[in-house]
Amino acid sequence: MNNFNNLTRRELLKISGLSIAGITFLASCGAQSGVVESANVASAGTVPPTTALGEVVISDTVLLRTAASLEYNAIDTYTKVLDSGLLTGEYASLNDAIKRFREDHVGHAAAINALVVGYGGKAHECANTRVNNLYVDPALKLITADGNADAARDAVALAHALENLATQTYQGIVALLTEPRLRGNAMRVGQDEARHAVVLAQVLNPGYSAVGPTTDEATGKAKVASVPSAFGGLGVIQVSLGAANSEGVKTNLSMETPSLNGLVYDEISC
Amino acid sequence: MTTSISSVAPAAPPKMPTSADMQLLSFAQSAELSVHDLYLKAIDSGMLSADEKTMMQMFLDHHKAYAQSLNGLLGKAATNTRNETMYSTYASQLTSAQAMSRVLQSVENTMVATHTDILSSLEGLDGATLVASIITVEARHAAVFGTLPNANLNSALDNTASSLAPNASSVTTTSETTVAP
Repeated sequence: MNNFNNLTRRELLKISGLSIAGITFLASCGAQSGVVESANVASAGTVPPTTALGEVVISDTVLLRTAASLEYNAIDTYTKVLDSGLLTGEYASLNDAIKRFREDHVGHAAAINALVVGYGGKAHECANTRVNNLYVDPALKLITADGNADAARDAVALAHALENLATQTYQGIVALLTEPRLRGNAMRVGQDEARHAVVLAQVLNPGYSAVGPTTDEATGKAKVASVPSAFGGLGVIQVSLGAANSEGVKTNLSMETPSLNGLVYDEISC
Repeated sequence: MTTSISSVAPAAPPKMPTSADMQLLSFAQSAELSVHDLYLKAIDSGMLSADEKTMMQMFLDHHKAYAQSLNGLLGKAATNTRNETMYSTYASQLTSAQAMSRVLQSVENTMVATHTDILSSLEGLDGATLVASIITVEARHAAVFGTLPNANLNSALDNTASSLAPNASSVTTTSETTVAP
């Protein structure tokens, strides 16, 4: 039964007002004309173009070539540290240790590349470009910048971070290597990098109390530890470098082991 | 362009430990329990400084965690008993604080060599990744003994210990220059 004839003027205005509000709400929920739908989260600005990774094969030799490339990152970094005379003052006595570490990395690179060749791959005898671009080059720029009073200590901190990065890389590829014998060989080198890291950790934060994890009470940040955890971790490696800003804070650099876009695939050459 | 990631491996390795893996992991667990007990003996000796004691307690806890983790992989196959031969070989040498540091460093180096040897034979990825995460920290333990109380670079870095692993790979040295295929 239709009772519209009985509605008052006030009731009619109320119904029409509600109808307009409802239509507006529904319209805002629907697709807008002329706007291309996207699955992405709404964002402002121009999205830079990306280059998709081509068809790649992650083989045992690719993983080992990547590990070899990190050895060259370490070799090159140590050479720069030694040649530039960065280790001065109380850190000058560390030069001999750095030379030993560099020799070790040369031996590691040769041993890993011998494995690569033995498994039908091509030896990779240069540094990982992505690791250089993302971590080593920016770190060295910060360390050698004018006004950095802690250049020597920062050089040791960078070395410590790189040794931990190498340790994590070898530990990480164990989960990806298909050949058990290669896993063992990877860790023969990986455990050596961990030892380097301990020697450097004891320079940065010496003593028995610094062996395990500790926290800086002033900053709340984790201090350098010789043995940071019960099991070898695969997390982000953080290192603070360069001249401190007006608030006394250095630039923080986060390092991660090479991922899909940092592996040294078979078609990559020096 | 579609990204395609694949492996050219002949066959994907198993995730869980194989029956052969179980034997090796069981040996690894018994060795870890021996190391745990060696640290316990050192701590209870009354010959260590407070700092040394604190550090060794941490290392003891680590070895306990390794034995427990291996127990998790082994399940009902776990024996949860220490390797008596290994324990008695080293326990008799813990005669002074200085000797304890030297002997326990040797023990850690031996564990690194043993686990690395075992890793070279493990088929299952769960066991391999666990053992790899243990190796890096036991190498750190050994290196710490080379830096404290007095820094000795060669002592911290060199590992000439032999593997104790039964019937593992033929590689018995841990020198990085001998990782030939």
